[in-house]
Amino acid sequence: MKLSDSPEIPFVNEVRLSLRQWVVVFGILAFVVTLTPALWKKLERFETGLDYRIPYVLSKDYWLYERRLQRLEPTNIVMLGDSVIWGEYVLTNGTWSHFLNQEAGVANLFVNGGVNGLFPLALEGLIRCYGRPLSRQKVILHCNVLWLTSPKADLSTDKEEPFNHAALVPQFSPRIPCYRADASERLNVIVERNVAFFAWVSHLQSTYFEQQSIPKWTLAEAGGDPPLYPNGSRNPISQITLVVPPEPQEDSQRGPQSSRHKPWSTNATGTTRFEWVDLDRSLQWHAFQRLMATLRGRGNDVLVVLGPFNEHIMAAPNRPAYRKVRADIMRWLSENQIPHVAPELLPSVLYADASHPLTEGYQRLATQLLTDATFRNWMRSK
Amino acid sequence: MLFHTWPFFVFLLIVLPGFYALRKTQLWLPWLTAASYFFYGWWNPYYLLLVVYSTLLDFCLVALMDHCPRTGQNTDVLSRLTGLRFDNRVLKVAFLISAGTTLSCLAMAFFGPQTLRPTMVVFSLILLLMTLGALYSSRKIWLLISLVNNLALLLFFKYARFVVENLNAAFASLHVSARLSDPSTLMPFGFEYLLPVGISFFTFQSLSYTIDFYLGNVQRERNFVRFATFVCFFPQLMAGPIERAKHLLPQFHQFPTVCLRNFTDGASLFLVGLFKKLALANYLSFYVERVYDNPKAFDAPALMMATFAFAWQIFFDFSGYTDMARGVAKLMGFNLIVNFNNPYLATGLGDFWSRWHIGLSSWFRDYVYIPLGGNRDGVFKTYRNLFLTFFVSGIWHGANWTFVIWGTLHAVGIMITRELERSVFYREQVPRLVKQMGVFLFVCFAWIFFRANSLHDALLIVNRLATSPWRDPQIPALMLILVALVWLYQFGYESRFRKCLQTDFVRVGTAVFMVLYLCLCASGGGAFIYFQF
Repeated sequence: MKLSDSPEIPFVNEVRLSLRQWVVVFGILAFVVTLTPALWKKLERFETGLDYRIPYVLSKDYWLYERRLQRLEPTNIVMLGDSVIWGEYVLTNGTWSHFLNQEAGVANLFVNGGVNGLFPLALEGLIRCYGRPLSRQKVILHCNVLWLTSPKADLSTDKEEPFNHAALVPQFSPRIPCYRADASERLNVIVERNVAFFAWVSHLQSTYFEQQSIPKWTLAEAGGDPPLYPNGSRNPISQITLVVPPEPQEDSQRGPQSSRHKPWSTNATGTTRFEWVDLDRSLQWHAFQRLMATLRGRGNDVLVVLGPFNEHIMAAPNRPAYRKVRADIMRWLSENQIPHVAPELLPSVLYADASHPLTEGYQRLATQLLTDATFRNWMRSK
Repeated sequence: MLFHTWPFFVFLLIVLPGFYALRKTQLWLPWLTAASYFFYGWWNPYYLLLVVYSTLLDFCLVALMDHCPRTGQNTDVLSRLTGLRFDNRVLKVAFLISAGTTLSCLAMAFFGPQTLRPTMVVFSLILLLMTLGALYSSRKIWLLISLVNNLALLLFFKYARFVVENLNAAFASLHVSARLSDPSTLMPFGFEYLLPVGISFFTFQSLSYTIDFYLGNVQRERNFVRFATFVCFFPQLMAGPIERAKHLLPQFHQFPTVCLRNFTDGASLFLVGLFKKLALANYLSFYVERVYDNPKAFDAPALMMATFAFAWQIFFDFSGYTDMARGVAKLMGFNLIVNFNNPYLATGLGDFWSRWHIGLSSWFRDYVYIPLGGNRDGVFKTYRNLFLTFFVSGIWHGANWTFVIWGTLHAVGIMITRELERSVFYREQVPRLVKQMGVFLFVCFAWIFFRANSLHDALLIVNRLATSPWRDPQIPALMLILVALVWLYQFGYESRFRKCLQTDFVRVGTAVFMVLYLCLCASGGGAFIYFQF
């Protein structure tokens, strides 16, 4: 290869770098891209006190989730799952992990590793890409059969459906028929998962710029007539306070004082007939199985908690199908020698919907778990 | 497959090594053609039929033109018709095939499936012209076929609906009951009536080859694969720069010189283009859309800022595309023409058009303005020719009255600046910066018509610019800073401070800034504005 003798190409600016200059550029970029996320962890204050859970607004900040896992003690038992583990209707002092800690009398033994809006296909992606610090920990994995209640919940319908955490689901294989992102979006997701710097950029956007890119944030509308765009005149750099915002003290959407915190039966929706998905064909169940394999492959000691799903919400003729699904799951867990517990059904008034318990429901579940022989044996095992 | 997306990156990761691996074989050219067709087919595989058809026809037409005498000569048409006595065997075969297929197409047009009849009528016409071309051995007729075919494609896909809608509106206002049906009803097999991406670019490029051959400016290209690569070379297929056969075709005759500078220059051009598109054009587009999609809700300052923002958006978008196109071509060792040369530093409208979309403006200069007579026949005819050229240029951009007005405004503007430049006072006393600002403001005013969603909106914006109160335009400071930095850079580039921009520190610093800004603040995807043309 010749070093010169290239036919001249006209430039209309001076950004024409030689090989030496490109090498310097790559050197600087490599330095910045590698060091920034690590340095950021030292600079940014991130308080994970008692009963910490990833705040609702930061649900899609997977870099922060990984950082949270990096702070685990070897003795911590991490509870993994969707919004049932996270506590959709309850405050931090009303979650399953909170009551387990309280009943066990040990502060922060059980860690809330749930994320709002997850489902098995996304949880699998979260743990595979961002869950490496979890290796060798004791893990309680929640299995929520809600994701098997219909082809739509299973994401196996052909009709395009929007869903949460699309950046965590498999992008190419296995194929999710209702996920219609184009090749560019899918490749973008894969790059972000694999380059920590991009995950860190996403963290910046989630934490300081209302989950938007900085340019979009400068154009954000704040309502009013005529509409106001207050961010236009703000300095984006001053937004970066270097403190990860904690969960708000007051939450009108959660806790016993909120209007949502009430039994499902008060919504007057009546019972529901579910279209249970066959386990063999379920995308969510297969993702759950793959997740189990990943966790075991990383040396995690896993205990599965199945349900308890709200059977009261089910139309009576629908219950045998549910019980079959439940039995099939239990059989698979037994066959694979995975310790598992299936807590008893809670009273109807302790469910907020098909799968989420209310505060008192979580308390009862914690008591049930701690008195369960399988659970106690698992806790004692090393 | 947009240049700034990962699929293109993957595509390039396959095409580039393959291209260099085949450099010692004859396969590098077919590889390039296949890659270009794949690139185009990625948008919509049906478009490929169109580009292949257009390429094939122009290739054949030039080949047949080559068999016709350059100077006019008397042809015994009757003996050719009755006794098939042709001097040239190729033309005889062409005559027989064209005549035969004309009859077949006519039969299909009358008796074939309903869905194919309109297409067959068009094919019959083209084939009939080809029959006449062969019969008369006329280069002019072959050129005419190329013009008719390429312009018919363009007219049908780009302007048919506009024409039909306007004619129907005219009929309605004259109380005539006749109504023309929508052009989509003419599509064969119920194919969707969509504007094929880049049709204006590849038809113009192909057309320039036939015109240049007719005029004797280029040699006939005998290798179909090479010609196909010239028409559909993937870096510039979608939005130019519109290349001439004289410049690009010779580059496909042998494998380009392999040198390191190709990669460093290519990467430099690509980075600048990527920054212009992702960091600047897309960001500006958010503000422009906000205002232009609802002009009634905004006052004069916001409308003015949005117009300035659009001026920069379209520059960054289009010149960003061509920078990336030139960068990708350069990575393979090919040189594409400069399409933009800091147009907002122009001191006159003529100067502006020698810096803006140079590929297109030189095309119109060579194939419209000069054939009309250029500036050879006095002031009136010069201005008439200028007016017609810019009028056609406006229409080229799209089927809407707003584009026609935009073209007309530029025609008027160019006449005014030509007159101004005749006066010594304007040439020598008016400061350069004032001229630059004057041109920029005029160009921005014309952009209102280019960008507005309708003529009604454009007039409303002009009206509100003059009458509405002055309130905070609420344009982000970051946006202003970025545009100001670019403008300053451009002023610096064309001043005595240019040497400062050539230092290692500035070059490396600019590149690092651009990459980091792209990583931290890219404004998301979005297609290129000029793809719609």
